[in-house]
Amino acid sequence: MATVEVPYQETVPLHHPKTWLGKYVFSQDHKVIAIQYGVTAMAVGLVALFLSELMRIQLAFPGAMPWFTADMYYQSITMHGMIMVIYLLTAFLLGAFGNFCIPLMCGARDMAFPFVNMLSYWVYLISVILLLLSYVVPGGPTGAGWTLYPPQTITAGTPGDDWGIAMMLISLAVFIAAFTMGGLNYITTILQARTRGMTLMRMPLTVWGIFIATFLGLIAFPALFVSAVMMLLDKFLGTSFFMPAIVSLGKSLDYSGGQPLLFQHLFWFFGHPEVYIVALPAFGVISDLISVHARKNIFGYRMMVWAIVAIGILSLVVWAHHMYVAGMHPYFGFFFATTTLIIAVPTALKVYNWLLTLWRANIRLTVPMLWALAFVLTFIVGGITGLFLGNVIIDIPLSDTYFVVAHFHMVMGVSPIFAIFGGIYHWYPKLSGRMLNDKIGLLHFYITFIGTYLIYFPMHYLGFIGTPRRYYETGVTEVTGFYPQSAHDLNVFITCVALFVGVSQLLFVYNLIVSLKKGKKAGDNPWGANSLEWRTPDTPPGHGNWGERLPTVHRWAYDFGVSHGDQDHIPQDVPKQKSN
Amino acid sequence: MSETLDKENILTGTARDWSSDMTTFKGVPWGKAMMWIFLLSDTFIFTCFLTGYMVVRSTTTEPWPVPSEVFALSVGGVAVPLLLIAIMTFVLITSSGTMAMAVNAGYRRNKKLVFWLMAATALLGATFVGMQVFEWSKLILEEGIRPWGYTDDSHLLGNAPQFGAIFFMVTGFHGLHVSIGVAYLLIVATKVLRGKYDHTNLEIVEITGLYWHFVDLVWVFIFAFFYLW
Amino acid sequence: MRVALLILAVVVGSVIFNFTTPFHLGQIASNWGLIDVTIWITFVLCGLAFIILGILMAWWIYTYQYQPGQLAEYEPEDPVLEGRLTILTTIGVVVMLAPGLIAWNDYIAVPEDAIELEVFSEQWTWSFRLPGEDGIFGYAHNKNIDIIANPMGIRDDDPYAQDDLVIETNIVKVPVDKKIKVLLRSKDVLHDFWVPEIRAKMDSVPGMVTYFWFEPTRTGVFEILCAELCGSSHHAMRGEMHIVTREEYQLWLDDQITWAERKAGVVPLTPVQQLGQTVARDNGCFACHNTTGAAGTPGPTWKGMWGTEVELDDGSIVTRDEAYVRESITNPGAKLVKGFSNTMLQLSDDVTTEDIDALIEYLKTTTPAVE
Repeated sequence: MATVEVPYQETVPLHHPKTWLGKYVFSQDHKVIAIQYGVTAMAVGLVALFLSELMRIQLAFPGAMPWFTADMYYQSITMHGMIMVIYLLTAFLLGAFGNFCIPLMCGARDMAFPFVNMLSYWVYLISVILLLLSYVVPGGPTGAGWTLYPPQTITAGTPGDDWGIAMMLISLAVFIAAFTMGGLNYITTILQARTRGMTLMRMPLTVWGIFIATFLGLIAFPALFVSAVMMLLDKFLGTSFFMPAIVSLGKSLDYSGGQPLLFQHLFWFFGHPEVYIVALPAFGVISDLISVHARKNIFGYRMMVWAIVAIGILSLVVWAHHMYVAGMHPYFGFFFATTTLIIAVPTALKVYNWLLTLWRANIRLTVPMLWALAFVLTFIVGGITGLFLGNVIIDIPLSDTYFVVAHFHMVMGVSPIFAIFGGIYHWYPKLSGRMLNDKIGLLHFYITFIGTYLIYFPMHYLGFIGTPRRYYETGVTEVTGFYPQSAHDLNVFITCVALFVGVSQLLFVYNLIVSLKKGKKAGDNPWGANSLEWRTPDTPPGHGNWGERLPTVHRWAYDFGVSHGDQDHIPQDVPKQKSN
Repeated sequence: MSETLDKENILTGTARDWSSDMTTFKGVPWGKAMMWIFLLSDTFIFTCFLTGYMVVRSTTTEPWPVPSEVFALSVGGVAVPLLLIAIMTFVLITSSGTMAMAVNAGYRRNKKLVFWLMAATALLGATFVGMQVFEWSKLILEEGIRPWGYTDDSHLLGNAPQFGAIFFMVTGFHGLHVSIGVAYLLIVATKVLRGKYDHTNLEIVEITGLYWHFVDLVWVFIFAFFYLW
Repeated sequence: MRVALLILAVVVGSVIFNFTTPFHLGQIASNWGLIDVTIWITFVLCGLAFIILGILMAWWIYTYQYQPGQLAEYEPEDPVLEGRLTILTTIGVVVMLAPGLIAWNDYIAVPEDAIELEVFSEQWTWSFRLPGEDGIFGYAHNKNIDIIANPMGIRDDDPYAQDDLVIETNIVKVPVDKKIKVLLRSKDVLHDFWVPEIRAKMDSVPGMVTYFWFEPTRTGVFEILCAELCGSSHHAMRGEMHIVTREEYQLWLDDQITWAERKAGVVPLTPVQQLGQTVARDNGCFACHNTTGAAGTPGPTWKGMWGTEVELDDGSIVTRDEAYVRESITNPGAKLVKGFSNTMLQLSDDVTTEDIDALIEYLKTTTPAVE
């Protein structure tokens, strides 16, 4: 029955660009848009990386950069955090990987709405430009921390309380518009534009991760949008949504009766799912990388899918674990601690399944595989420290310390970045037709993995002694001695490693550029993978991805470890034999 | 076909349909699927706004202005509570009716009728926005309500400063939706008449209708929360 | 091989670092030992999980390296194994969560016999208030704040307020072995009162009174930190909490002044000085300067400024007399106090010479005659 049905997309005519501009710049081809997203996100990520190095230098050698004032430090933490979380990780994992993988892995010719998809990128670019423009407006960018907690966000004691915060909020609203346009495309494409035989339970886990993450984004970003609107009104129209009666730096302000906690609830209703918007696609990518390079099926595929779904749903009811010390009603603590620790169960299962995939596998230690393995290890560390912070009573002493900084950098800084690196090393051959240089890749991997571990693992212990985060300088304390000289020495060590790791990222950029021309020819399927993107008639895939007809899927994407001719894997579009 | 329907229980049958290949929702055009997903996202925007309203309303220590007093319309010297808003609601609900008829006409491929019904819907929507402008100007000029509080000569009993803020924000955001909807309706209606969608099933009319009904539905909630609470 | 060793090294290195590092929770100074116990339980369970998973990973990477022609085992899933792992993880989670929730239950239930201490936070310093002999705080609200006469916004005519002790420095003393309920208020933005050795912390939120409680168990001097980003000088918002014996505490209490005494002690301003104060207020001087001595403001504090010597940014020393102050008002960039940059705006043309004279008269009053 199903075989005679013609997929709707085979009847839709493709948009063909007529000019050079339409082909490479204002392209509606999802692969070009993916590259545009990726390059922009990486460029803005390098800015954020540079900011973090400035902060590390300040922390280790206070006074070494006299021009780097406290205001600039706080502006740097804000911009670093916001860029990394939103404009790099979200944009890269969904904008770049989502755009590249979804149509290719689902067997579609393009996204459902190529024009909206193109618009999504250009609007995203505008949001990035607006964000960076806040460096040239009077007062500079906002220094309120990426959480943007009112009242301080818009009062005079914070740098960039006027223009800076306006630019930030407008840029976020624009980003949300861009994300919504992209997200509608991703979901519609996954739901309605798959090829013959591609059932939901045959989709690669990358697609599943992106799918649920996009859903979360469409549900969570509205909360950020609403809070941004309300804060703009508070700032420029004098409303009192988040602003109680306060006396700011000697001046009574005309606000009264607002609720600073309302903002925090709205922000974290966005902010916590945001963690999983970043993590779920990373989970998916890592699952695929491990399976392909271990030459073994992913262990417990169905469990992995349901874990992604469960994590996605649960992530909507845990937001207030970021607010244990914020002054909300104490009974919330019981509820949110319980839901938060429940999330640990499906998350832990994913980790077990990644490890069990390695068991009795045939592991190829390629560069993407190394990143995937490193991801699993850093994710374990980041995950179990999450068990500390999710448990309400332990969060009391540890919140707002370096323990939190170390935790979230491990779990949603380093880990997703590893997934991004792994994904790039994995898909670059398909994207460009050439392999990335392995030697540079290995060097980059070892420096980055060992380096980031040396940065963030000791940082947890700085949190244990109580070093507060977001301090321009802690200053060795003589009276109380809670922050001894040895702790400062540790900070110096961390900074040195961070500088080294930061600079070595240029290796990666170099590798990307040089391999484009000089890399080894990749062929259609260099890793011996099964999913559809490796089965395109051309490499890189042409406009429309497939030939005359869309491929037909006959099996899941994880038939590894089965002999098929002289190969150890069976691609998805190979028909099943009777004996199978 | 009917045999399989009989055999399968509704739950497993739906699950099987959803997880089957090519399309999850059988026979649903891409545009319609996208509009549904967009409306899901938009629902969360309004939910956040209304949650914000409930928080503000229930935590403010100052008395809230009495809706029947603020929103009264004086007819011949007698203040009739909620008169204007009743008319506005009636207009918007009527527009939903004309929209539904337009969808029906669309599937019968009666393009002229589609055009006129959509134009009527747009007209009703524009009327709604016009009355909203009238209401706003009355609140601002006569009652002295401002987003940041009240003018000194305001004679209202309640003086919670958030009233104006949340009211103007939420109804303004909804009014923006209606205005966008009017423009969207007019564009689609013209294109339908010109035959731009002849190669399709004219499902664009239904998609536009989805958006319009959503905007109406949101109004029902706003009406209940702001005018009846 | 190399990769397996690397992962093993990471695991072993982490364990070694954990046991050799001096950086662990500082010696506790309150009753919240249960927090430390919960952390310890979580630490042990999570640590074991980390070690086991890490070693398995290294081991399997080493054992199942790629061999051409070899096939991996085909094993889509194992519901029994997955079910067992789920149950095991759930048990672990329960073991960690249960003591945490029990401790939380204690943490949020303030004992009846706790004495109250109000912590008042502002950018960027702390001050404190005690309820006095009647044991009841007078009503206070940010709307009542007058930055000179009533910095905490206490309601003037509240009978409970008169015996409240106001402590306008960032050093507070508390008695050992006595339960203390800390009430937190904020004048401007979010702050967070935190003493690492006490373990407890809580945000102070303007417009709300938040609280937590603790019982100090050992004497000593401890650092008060602000743990919630609160603007440009967040890192400078420090204070000291001295946990002292009952006797010493009583002596300290006797030294503090009540709200009624403070009100009486404020010397009324002459009309000229009052005009000067108005000038300062209208021109936004208090955005950067203050009269409370709080540190970290964009401009130098006025408290105790008049007539004292100060080091300028070029290293020279100058006495802050009338000539200096007048020059600094009319030409802010001429002589900068060390550590400050010139961000002060020129006074508008509406400010007359009489206004500046009055302002100078007012500035003189910010330095008490005898201190």
